[in-house]
Amino acid sequence: MTENKTEQDVPSATPSKGALGEFPPWLRRPWGSGALFESTRNVVQGYRVHTVCQSARCPNQGDCWQRRTATFMILGNVCTRNCLFCSVRSGNPARNVDLEEPLRVAEAVRALSIRHAVITSVTRDDLHDGGAQQFLNTIRAIREINPHTTVEVLTPDFKGDVNAVRTVAEAYPEVFGHNIETVERLHAVLRRNGRLYEKSLSLLRFVSGFSDKIIVKSALMLGHGETRDEIVKTLQDLREVGCQVVAMGQYLRPTKSQRAVQRYITPDEFQELEQIAYSMGFLFVTAGPFVRSSYRAEEPISMLKEKRFGSVAR
Amino acid sequence: MKVEIRLPELGEDAEEKASVSRWLVNIGDIVNTGDDLIELTTDKAAFTVPCPQNGVVVELLVEEGDEVVAGDPLCILES
Repeated sequence: MTENKTEQDVPSATPSKGALGEFPPWLRRPWGSGALFESTRNVVQGYRVHTVCQSARCPNQGDCWQRRTATFMILGNVCTRNCLFCSVRSGNPARNVDLEEPLRVAEAVRALSIRHAVITSVTRDDLHDGGAQQFLNTIRAIREINPHTTVEVLTPDFKGDVNAVRTVAEAYPEVFGHNIETVERLHAVLRRNGRLYEKSLSLLRFVSGFSDKIIVKSALMLGHGETRDEIVKTLQDLREVGCQVVAMGQYLRPTKSQRAVQRYITPDEFQELEQIAYSMGFLFVTAGPFVRSSYRAEEPISMLKEKRFGSVAR
Repeated sequence: MKVEIRLPELGEDAEEKASVSRWLVNIGDIVNTGDDLIELTTDKAAFTVPCPQNGVVVELLVEEGDEVVAGDPLCILES
């Protein structure tokens, strides 16, 4: 049984400095270029919207933008938290909320003809609702001018505020995503707060119970020194709170200011983890070095809707 | 006509600095749109830069280990 395999939590033989020539061969991506890429860049700039593609220095930016898709980041580009793995600018946005942002995002979705829009945000602990209303307004604005576009949100934890989560859920996004990010033990290190693990699970549990019309999704980044057993335990915890879709990808240090990669997970290991997750009952699993929760998020949507709401009664 | 090939800009906040790992073409090579020209590494990952047009490589303007930023000229093609 693969579930019982353990993995030594050892520093890898693979150097992880990210300097010249040290990346394993599977960590290679196309640099963003070409007419389609430029047209996406022009839309993003023209509508003055932020993308997590840029703020998180995502290595998939070239690939996604050449397909004219992007993941929009709302509530500005300054985050009130400072997680060790993330390159989004940290600071105090002083309760500022751009009320025209939802419409600009919706217009950018239209300009790019995006059929499945993924909306995420910075964490806004300075706002009483954590920015939930802005999520709601953005979902509504997208639907208003893109009636055939499905919407996926990837939200912060709203400090565990159930009312904030409910506000977003009441817009009935097709997919409600919230990333658990890492295994329980490493929350204390990476997110400076060990209790955030339980908070994230509670949020996912709430959304699962809120409506079976919403697909619940989460994601894990691997390579921070977690063991195989810890990954499996996290997947079990996600299943227990009703999470149906999970994504697992390689953590890559955005700049030298963030935490170093502890280990590069091989493509074979990712495949194995994908099988393990499927065996636990997830409806859809993606696992691979460049998998991010929003990467190719549109692909399983029609299948998921069928599985969830098809003729087979649950 | 000689054309200068530059490292494309990714946009605000994105990673725009990289170091040259190696050239994937040589002077005299015939290249087509989409062919990988050069491999770069950022702090995050390794990247290949595709050729934006057909031509013949006549000059390489950067070498292994050089730091490059978006907008920098990488090579010259004769097209």
